[in-house]
Amino acid sequence: MSEPAPAVGGETTPRSDGVPAGSAVRRRRQAPWLAIRETIPAWQGWALGALPILALLAVWSLATAGGAPEERWISPTILPSPWEVIRSFPELWFDRALTRNLLVSFGRVAAGFAVALLIAFPLGVMMGSFTKVKAAFTPLSVFGAYLPIPALVPLTLSLFGTGELQKVIFLALAFLIYLLPLIVSAVDSVDDVYLKTAYTLGADRWQAVRRVLLPVAWADIFQALRLGFGVGWSYILLVEMVDIGKGLGGIIIVSQRRGPREHIYLVLLLIVAVAFATDKAWAALGRKLFPYREAR
Amino acid sequence: MAEQKVGPTALGKLVLVLFVLALAAGAAYYFRDVLMPSGKDGARPVDMDAFKAQQGKFEAPDTKGITTVSEYTYVPAEKLPPVKGVSGYVWDPATKVVQFPINVWIGWLPIVAANHGFAPNNESIFFKEYGFKVNLKLIDDPVVARDAFAAGQSHILWGTLDMMVLFAPELMRDSRTAPRIFQQIDWSSGGDGIVVRGNIHSVRDLKGKTVVYAQNSPSQYFINNLLLNAGIQPSEVNHKYTATAFEAAAAFVSDKRIDACVSWAPDIYNIPEKVAGTRILTTTAEANKLIADVWAARADFAKDHPQVIKGLVAGIFKGMDQLKDPGFRARAFQWMAEGYGMQPDEVKAMEADAHSTNFAENKEFFLNANNPTNFERTWKNITFVYRELGLVGTPVRFDEVMDFSVLQQLDREGTFAHQRDEYRATFAPVSYTKVQAEAPILTQTIRINFYPNSANIFEPQHDELGNPIPNTLYDPSVAATLEKVARLAGQYERAVIAVVGHTDSSMKGRGVREQDVRALSLDRANAVKKALVQKYKFDPNKFIVEGKGWDVPADPDDPTNHALNRRVEIAVYPPEAR
Repeated sequence: MSEPAPAVGGETTPRSDGVPAGSAVRRRRQAPWLAIRETIPAWQGWALGALPILALLAVWSLATAGGAPEERWISPTILPSPWEVIRSFPELWFDRALTRNLLVSFGRVAAGFAVALLIAFPLGVMMGSFTKVKAAFTPLSVFGAYLPIPALVPLTLSLFGTGELQKVIFLALAFLIYLLPLIVSAVDSVDDVYLKTAYTLGADRWQAVRRVLLPVAWADIFQALRLGFGVGWSYILLVEMVDIGKGLGGIIIVSQRRGPREHIYLVLLLIVAVAFATDKAWAALGRKLFPYREAR
Repeated sequence: MAEQKVGPTALGKLVLVLFVLALAAGAAYYFRDVLMPSGKDGARPVDMDAFKAQQGKFEAPDTKGITTVSEYTYVPAEKLPPVKGVSGYVWDPATKVVQFPINVWIGWLPIVAANHGFAPNNESIFFKEYGFKVNLKLIDDPVVARDAFAAGQSHILWGTLDMMVLFAPELMRDSRTAPRIFQQIDWSSGGDGIVVRGNIHSVRDLKGKTVVYAQNSPSQYFINNLLLNAGIQPSEVNHKYTATAFEAAAAFVSDKRIDACVSWAPDIYNIPEKVAGTRILTTTAEANKLIADVWAARADFAKDHPQVIKGLVAGIFKGMDQLKDPGFRARAFQWMAEGYGMQPDEVKAMEADAHSTNFAENKEFFLNANNPTNFERTWKNITFVYRELGLVGTPVRFDEVMDFSVLQQLDREGTFAHQRDEYRATFAPVSYTKVQAEAPILTQTIRINFYPNSANIFEPQHDELGNPIPNTLYDPSVAATLEKVARLAGQYERAVIAVVGHTDSSMKGRGVREQDVRALSLDRANAVKKALVQKYKFDPNKFIVEGKGWDVPADPDDPTNHALNRRVEIAVYPPEAR
């Protein structure tokens, strides 16, 4: 947004089109309701984003409307109504220690992420920079992406026990598989022009990596981390199946067996809220770190 | 002009920020119970007296103590919650296929036999004799099975009675998905068990140790019931939970810090063979009337199709008859192997994990109110254990799910009068010295307050002149105490039970002959045995009595605690042919 886009080959963007003032002309030019890459005010963005959510809520309410459970389209033994879900919130918060469990799960995801990063970052940068390293590790990375890793739970159990270590390692594995290709491609996609310039100026290999490849790729790597952070949450149920007790996944697993159903959906909503908040935090951080990048 | 600084200095800002942060931290601390409540889950101390009395409440202390089979007299339909609304399951009246999910468990052999395999077909007993078809579907995950049942995609829910206790409260929110239990399929008989590391010899040794098992599964009921019967608070043991019994076994094998696991066959038998220093503590081969496998139908389906339900029950009993023919049995193993994607040998290896319960045994389970391990008592015991563990809130009554109407119908018609109760363990007389050569699985201390010098457990109270007062009991809780012992003895139907009487030492050194004291303690043990045999119809040889006099004080460090010493101990010993 803030980066002045250079006008390329006669293409015009809505802001740099240099249309003379005159509302009639402008209206005609902006007439299509769905314009490609137009700029919209923030409130419109929020409103458009809220619409599908409201529609979903409406469908949910309709599907579970009606007083007696027997009159509903979907029975509360499968899906309780939104109101019932909201009403069970205090019980979840107080009796089942929601915040503590949330912190436990968040801590596990964050720890797994950090461990994965310790491996994915150096390895990814090496693979993106040096063709031979890439040739060595690409097959492994591709296999990983296809692997149904839930099947590895028993293996991690016997290697790392049933405690926190196993949970963190398993999440780290999931993160690693996701992050590695993204980091590689971030480094990979740095334009050759920069490298050639650096070599012309007499840079050696390490200088090229440190001063050229990395700085240019930083923003893309950051974007990869932002996308990847969500992956851990999709595996939280799986890791918290073992040594159930603490964590949001534990709450879901227990509620599936002995109810209340409401808590399953509440925890799902909560994970969505956490995802939203974390993503906003990543975006804010991104704007601070890479102001020259458009942080959408 | 624009550079003119207005507002606080850098230091001022810092102080302001610190002040706000301190306020926020203070507020957070003040409201810590609201922001970070520690939750209500977790074991609260179990009231051991309540554990004893839980099933003594439904009948007045029974001083006669002699009863035969007494059948329930109520009509199930009067107690079962009525079905409201339009039925919500998927059903095609043209093909009439009952969707019946099952798990990997040998107990389903009779229905596989009756159905001639898993898929709906024309050879099935259900089709030939009752005009509908059955689709047996392998759904091993109980949560998936429960969800398919609730969604109306399947008409039947498989499960053990303890799983039903956990599922029932949620399923009963909708009267159509309320589970109706019509038939017991089997007793787990060696299929579930507890494996321990070598230093553990009895349930008592589990105190302070770590046990791993699948939460909300029969394993959880098995271990916690065992702990309570041995007088151990569940909170005195460190529990580790997994989602499946398989994971529990894997965790036990891989993590040496775990002292015991509760799991299923074949893991419980494989571990001691493969992992040095591990052994089986106990299995449902001894606790052979503890874990009951049943199936439940959706209430709306049962209401709309009573003939289908009756056909299912009868067809399964017929399957049990047919399995007596070895040739047909071999075919049934073949069908089961195909359905599970296993080898027939592997299926055959599971044969001893469960004991199919025929018509006579179902009658015992559903209809005999005096059976120490009937539906009602099993349901109540599970409910008690799970309630104390905080797993169920408002419990469901047994008569809200148990429907014996089909069994009564079949009884009147006499269709299965030829099926006899084949599941009675027989005991040869054996001496106490011989039995106690091996460590008991668990020891339960019960306290019956005997009138001084009396061995009558139903002794009335006496007035000041020593005359008995009619219709009173010296120990008013004696019926509840016996009930607790009977429940344990019933659950451990195949085990030998030692009843050991003790006296206090208040008369020690005061001219009392030691053999008289021994005789009194033996008489007390005999009185307990006699009451159990009379009321609950146990085999007398199941109980071995012993009188220890004042030789073994309850607490060796406090031998003169007379109240503690006047006691009877119940020890459960593994059967000889283990």
